[in-house]
Amino acid sequence: MEPQIVYYPRPEYIETDTGNKVSRKSVICGSQNIILGGKTIIQTDCVIRGDLRRTGVGHAVVVAIGRYCLLSRGSIIRPPYKTYKGMFSYYPMKIGDHVTIGEGSIVEAATIGSFVHIGKNCVIGRFAIIKDCCRIEDNTVIPPNTVVPSFSIYEGSPGVCVDELPECVQDLYESQTKDFYTKFQPSN
Amino acid sequence: MTAEAINAAHTFVHYHCSCPDVNRSLSSLTLKENEAKNNDKKIVGDRDDDNNTELNKNREYANTTKEDALFPLDAYSPRTVFSTFALSKLYFCEDCHQIRCPRCVQEEIVCYYCPNCLFEVPTASVKSERNRCARNCFQCPICQNTLTVVASTEPPPVTPATAVPPRLLPNAAPAPSPPIPTPQPTGAPYFLLCGVCRWDSQEINMTFEKATGLALQLQKTEDEKPDVKEFEHLKEHFEKHLRTNAPSTTLSSHLFLFPGLNGFSSRYGSSGSTQNQPKSDDVAPYEAAVKVIEEEGLIEELKKLDNPNAVTTLTQRLDQLSDQPYKVEKLQPQRIHLRTKRVKRCRTCHHILIKPEQKAQAIKFKIKLVALNYIPKITIAKLPKLTVNQKTHVILKFSNPLDVEVDIKLTTKEKDAYGTITMPTSEFAISPYNEVWEYDDEDFGTDNRLPSRGRHSQAASTHGTEGIFEKKGSYTSIILEVTPLVEMDEFRFPLLVTYTYKATIEISTQDDAKLDKLSTNKSDDVDKTDTDIDTSTATAETSAITPSTNADTDNEPEAILTKEITKSLSFCTIIGLGAVAKVSSAPPTSSSSKTPTGITAC
Repeated sequence: MEPQIVYYPRPEYIETDTGNKVSRKSVICGSQNIILGGKTIIQTDCVIRGDLRRTGVGHAVVVAIGRYCLLSRGSIIRPPYKTYKGMFSYYPMKIGDHVTIGEGSIVEAATIGSFVHIGKNCVIGRFAIIKDCCRIEDNTVIPPNTVVPSFSIYEGSPGVCVDELPECVQDLYESQTKDFYTKFQPSN
Repeated sequence: MTAEAINAAHTFVHYHCSCPDVNRSLSSLTLKENEAKNNDKKIVGDRDDDNNTELNKNREYANTTKEDALFPLDAYSPRTVFSTFALSKLYFCEDCHQIRCPRCVQEEIVCYYCPNCLFEVPTASVKSERNRCARNCFQCPICQNTLTVVASTEPPPVTPATAVPPRLLPNAAPAPSPPIPTPQPTGAPYFLLCGVCRWDSQEINMTFEKATGLALQLQKTEDEKPDVKEFEHLKEHFEKHLRTNAPSTTLSSHLFLFPGLNGFSSRYGSSGSTQNQPKSDDVAPYEAAVKVIEEEGLIEELKKLDNPNAVTTLTQRLDQLSDQPYKVEKLQPQRIHLRTKRVKRCRTCHHILIKPEQKAQAIKFKIKLVALNYIPKITIAKLPKLTVNQKTHVILKFSNPLDVEVDIKLTTKEKDAYGTITMPTSEFAISPYNEVWEYDDEDFGTDNRLPSRGRHSQAASTHGTEGIFEKKGSYTSIILEVTPLVEMDEFRFPLLVTYTYKATIEISTQDDAKLDKLSTNKSDDVDKTDTDIDTSTATAETSAITPSTNADTDNEPEAILTKEITKSLSFCTIIGLGAVAKVSSAPPTSSSSKTPTGITAC
């Protein structure tokens, strides 16, 4: 089924020079520590915690998000934390290009590669590493420290590999995210 | 809107693979089934009403034999699920010029890697490590999640005697560390902890002195297991016998090439060739090396159970194949299974369709012949809710992935027991794929032969444009008129797509004859497409041969020539349009997606 054009109220979204569309109704903390690659959409009620950064040193990138990403309604991006050698600290998170994060999902991963689809209501545990070309089905819980290798489909709680993705998934997700971006239009 | 969204979840366009496997079984099965049905009828007589109606339906289809010949598959048969695939799962063999499905490709393993640590395991050591990761990757015996190695800086809690499970006779005996280790300043002892269910290996008295090479320590205990020992013993027993016999492994099945199954391979492989030799009977009587001690009183204990969690689940048992214990205490962490990267070959011509990069983390492919890049992609662009006995306009979008223009010809079963389908247009062209168009979404109407018409303009100014909803960039959308006749969960119909295009290929003169044959074969399918094709080079199916620019190849018999041939391919698709609703009392005219003229009662 071909995706339909999604209209949003024009005053709700801020469009940056690089084409990012960020909802004013989202909560972006510590925006100086957040990098958006361009043409990324952050929808209503999203939360990005850029303020949770490593203690000490001055400026640091906390959340880096690539191009053509989509953070759907109510998704939460929070950098992972741990206590290492008695020191509690947050660690940066990196999200690649063409990544879709479904509605109501909570992401505390260390790395998410490119061409990744995360379904609705997922929980991605702390320091999880999701490699390129992966699919996390709806309602999946990826436990902390899990590595999701390329071309796998994870499902369940705790998430386990249930299938492999086809080889052309990169092209597929690329065109899907680009298509969504072009069809995410302001209503007049 | 929500109803439409739910409906959308059930729609699909699946492509049928014409591979011999699926088809042979399909045709033979249908034959058998029909025979069986006929027999049934003879036996049961006309008592079974359901059966009768079913038969009548079948006969109805049989009457329309011409169409049936085109559609080898019944859209509603549960079997079609196994012979139709989403476009993304299909491959395309350039040499055979055919679609290949995951069932008609051959796989060869090129790389083993651990899905957790992503370490590539050299093929040589895969066998000795028993297809599992030999580093620090373990699977939780309770919830199958990955375990983490944790250092216990403080002394481990002294487990009360009741909590300490009885130790497994064969497995736990050579545990690498003493049962109650003394705490050391380095963080030892280490243990494994599950982040999901909080299981930790101290529960089964498994601790490690060093944080590295845990698998090596665990593998030692694995080697002690009775089934492993027995297998080794069996192998030893038969190997020396087989070595003296003819060791020619005639079977080339890839199953036998799996490391770890070498024992099987040599055994089964040579059994075929040595069948007639009396020598093969001279196997010395085998005596089991290990005696598995049967647990006594297990059944009694299980009978007395009142907590179901004290018994392992089937998944847990199957993960520990060696002894498949019933008691949770006997479960052990397992090393993580390796995953593979595979080369995929066309089974007919053995050309490579998929060749991944060797590295475990690379996602690139050296060769990637996927159907997505070769055959037109069909998507359902607009689908109003289907209602019984109401004509509905469904928009199908055909995208062209090729850089040449493609002519499409569609055929469908116009009428079956479930509904009727009418196509105002069945032949049309799709412009070549041009990446630039992907970016300027709107401003490309100039060099399009059918300049951007407004939505739903059905202007029949040019021949064959009636029923074309939209023609833009590298896609053409057409209108289908669908009238479902019964209420059902999923309305499906078959669609036979034939696409034709002109390809320029380089060939040597030797292949010329072959090519001529090929082109004449192909040209049978080609219609005189009187739509406006860019006839810049040659006429329909003939070939213009032009010698290549290389002068030094002139004298050689194998001069490289370019030749234009017409290629065409037919494939069958099953299109699912979601649920069909009953005629509702409320007037359905409110739905804006329906065309005003589209609603007519049949």
